[in-house]
Amino acid sequence: MTNDSPIDLLLLVRDPIDQTALVGHVREPEDGAVVTFDGCVRNHSRGRRTLYLDYEAYEAMALAKIREIAEQMHEKYPIHRVAIAHRLGRLEIGETSVFIAVSSEHRPAAFEACRFAIDTLKRTVPIWKKEYFEDGAVWADGEMPPAPLETRAAKPAS
Amino acid sequence: MSGGTQSVRVKVLFFGRLKEIVGQAEDSVELPDGSPIEALFTQYGAKHPELARFRASLVASRNQEFAAWSTPLHSGDEVAFLPPVSGG
Repeated sequence: MTNDSPIDLLLLVRDPIDQTALVGHVREPEDGAVVTFDGCVRNHSRGRRTLYLDYEAYEAMALAKIREIAEQMHEKYPIHRVAIAHRLGRLEIGETSVFIAVSSEHRPAAFEACRFAIDTLKRTVPIWKKEYFEDGAVWADGEMPPAPLETRAAKPAS
Repeated sequence: MSGGTQSVRVKVLFFGRLKEIVGQAEDSVELPDGSPIEALFTQYGAKHPELARFRASLVASRNQEFAAWSTPLHSGDEVAFLPPVSGG
């Protein structure tokens, strides 16, 4: 599932993430910096040895939320291009689950935008991981996305 | 315009542990036009008490956007109950 705007590359993939392609996508002659974030599968979770992870997503909404993150990055920071890929399905220890690449003329913007992207992704994108251990499996503790305020009475139908 | 008692059909999606509790990823239900998302969740909670226990940690969505539980539902809407997210 992909969503390519002319300048950003935003992907949900089931095969290993092609990091070289993502970096190549954002890196242009006018750039002085490319910052990347490589989120990888850790071999332990709260003292227990992890065997592997299984990711699932509300794919259409997840891609829409990743697109919003990219838009916010362009609004907030003087950056050039963004590439974000999140992998779904079973991932082994050490594999990359999420990869982000950001290019900019000067490095501060790319660093800050990349940090914003991963922090926001972890709070707002509907993706879930199940952690498999030797003695069972659990859905990882997640973060509650910011929910819209409740109104006392529902708005009338239009 | 809706007449209030008119019945409409909406699509409901379940993810993560909710999918395991309900035993299906997707459902299609009829309910009165304009019913709030909360009323739909209450129906599922009655059928699956374990689901109801998660209510405080869930966020609702309508048509792939986070939505308040009071949001009224209309024909063709796609609703999901989202557990805390853990991507990355």
